[in-house]
Amino acid sequence: MEFLNFLLILWAGWLVWRRPERERLAFRLLIVSCALMALLFLVGTRTAVLPGLNY
Amino acid sequence: MTRDRLLAVLTGMVIVLVAGPLGLAVFVLGFGTGDSPCILCWAQRTGMALVALVGLFVIRYGPRPRYLGTAVLLGVWGLWMAVRHSASHVARDVGQGFSIAILGAHTYIWSWVVYLTVLAVLGALIALQREEPPATPSAAAAAAAAGGAPGRAGRAAMALFVVVIAANAVQAFASTGPPPFLGQSDPVRFSFNPKHWVWSLEEWRSVPISWRGSWSVAPPDLSALDPDPAKGPLAGLPALPVRRWLRVGAPLTGVPSDLAWDPVAGRFLVVTDRHEVLVLGSTLARPIHRVVLDAEFSLDLSPLAGAAFLGDTLAVLATNKSYVLLRADSLPAPEAEWRVFRSTHGGVRELRRARFATVRARQMFVMSLAYDQVADELVTVSVPSPRQRRLVVSRFARGDLLLSSEFIPALAPGLRFAGPERTLADYVVTGATIADSLLYAISAAHSTLLVLDPAARVVRAAYAVPGLTRPTGLAARAGELYVLQADGRVAVIERPRAPLAPPAPSRCPLPSPRDC
Repeated sequence: MEFLNFLLILWAGWLVWRRPERERLAFRLLIVSCALMALLFLVGTRTAVLPGLNY
Repeated sequence: MTRDRLLAVLTGMVIVLVAGPLGLAVFVLGFGTGDSPCILCWAQRTGMALVALVGLFVIRYGPRPRYLGTAVLLGVWGLWMAVRHSASHVARDVGQGFSIAILGAHTYIWSWVVYLTVLAVLGALIALQREEPPATPSAAAAAAAAGGAPGRAGRAAMALFVVVIAANAVQAFASTGPPPFLGQSDPVRFSFNPKHWVWSLEEWRSVPISWRGSWSVAPPDLSALDPDPAKGPLAGLPALPVRRWLRVGAPLTGVPSDLAWDPVAGRFLVVTDRHEVLVLGSTLARPIHRVVLDAEFSLDLSPLAGAAFLGDTLAVLATNKSYVLLRADSLPAPEAEWRVFRSTHGGVRELRRARFATVRARQMFVMSLAYDQVADELVTVSVPSPRQRRLVVSRFARGDLLLSSEFIPALAPGLRFAGPERTLADYVVTGATIADSLLYAISAAHSTLLVLDPAARVVRAAYAVPGLTRPTGLAARAGELYVLQADGRVAVIERPRAPLAPPAPSRCPLPSPRDC
């Protein structure tokens, strides 16, 4: 999944660099990638979403 | 700062971010040394790539609100990821980290630095931006359609970004695989050789979602326990009848939660769940000293649940393993009394307030405290919880009040469990005392008295004590045991002398032999 996310980021970066008129698509890719990154972090921490320390 | 200068600074920061953390991570740490990120590291690295991407958006299209807002959100989320990830490791012992350390700090710590820097730079750039008159609608539309023309540095930043992200994609493919494979919590080192690639679906496994994981431990609740000895985990226990009943005659403001006996001075020590500490005469009626500890404005004291005499010193213990040492003093300082006591009749001062640290009993509450005069050690017995199903005896040296030993007791020959699923963790020890080198522990669950041999680390004997209702404390007085109950009554029973048989053969006390 991390590989997929880097492909999305690469695609968005490429659009910003070489196809600036596709700003709307590039930004959507950015938002999707943000959501996927957050999801993957939560998948990795779902047994203890909060830091495992004393409160 | 003019807009051009601001964009130049931003371009420089993007290049630093891409060439620094992102480029260093993939080319030097990954391809160079074989470092492979865990699933949390991957998310943090991805977040940095997204921050850099937002920077490219600003370089290309200008500082639009949605870009700046996205950058702030990414910075805050990245900081949260750094906190959450570091929490798994920062409390461990010196030098005990995870994966590679850079300049003495591990990568999850550097993540703090990166995201804090991102937020600081972002705030500074926004604050330093010169207010300019808004563009005409036609000019703004044209700029939005085509995007700005970045300078040479901007184009270099974009090219560098594409190269570094492509390299990260290569490493991510080798380390984590194509979807639906994903990163691992404990990854193997990176290799370009496909034979060494490990692609895993382990993190997709179905597990309960929890806020705090193993730290979600509910405080002990005695009212929910079954007092019936016949339903306890040990089968065929002999009964130990109550010889007589006494009552704590002194007025109490809370529920009595432990009892101790001082054979030298002939006095009792009683504590309550409202942080009340009483020294009573030998009839349990006449108060000699009474203080109520201030539980909130220093070390946090949960309800008191343990009491012991250490010679002249009174030791009281809260369920969260915070303890307070007190001593009778005819001339305590009034200001010190006000600081540590909610109320006092005078004559007592606080010596020390600190916390016991345990290993096997970590993340478990305790409801008992005993003092081993021969070994000069304090002893606690843990209260099992649904997450930590263990009965742990912890011993603390009187000299420094640090952990000296811990054990999970085994059963001596002659004792057997009532079923394959039963364990000593079915008991909830609420009172303990030491006499003749034996540790006596009373369990509120199944009203059972356990007799442990600390030297052999076994339960030598166990007795059903019918008629008890929510026992909360235990004291040894001569040849008898005094069992304090939550209702203030005290059951007096014979103190059994367990046979000191040779130690049981070593066996694994944990649920699974492979844990040993």
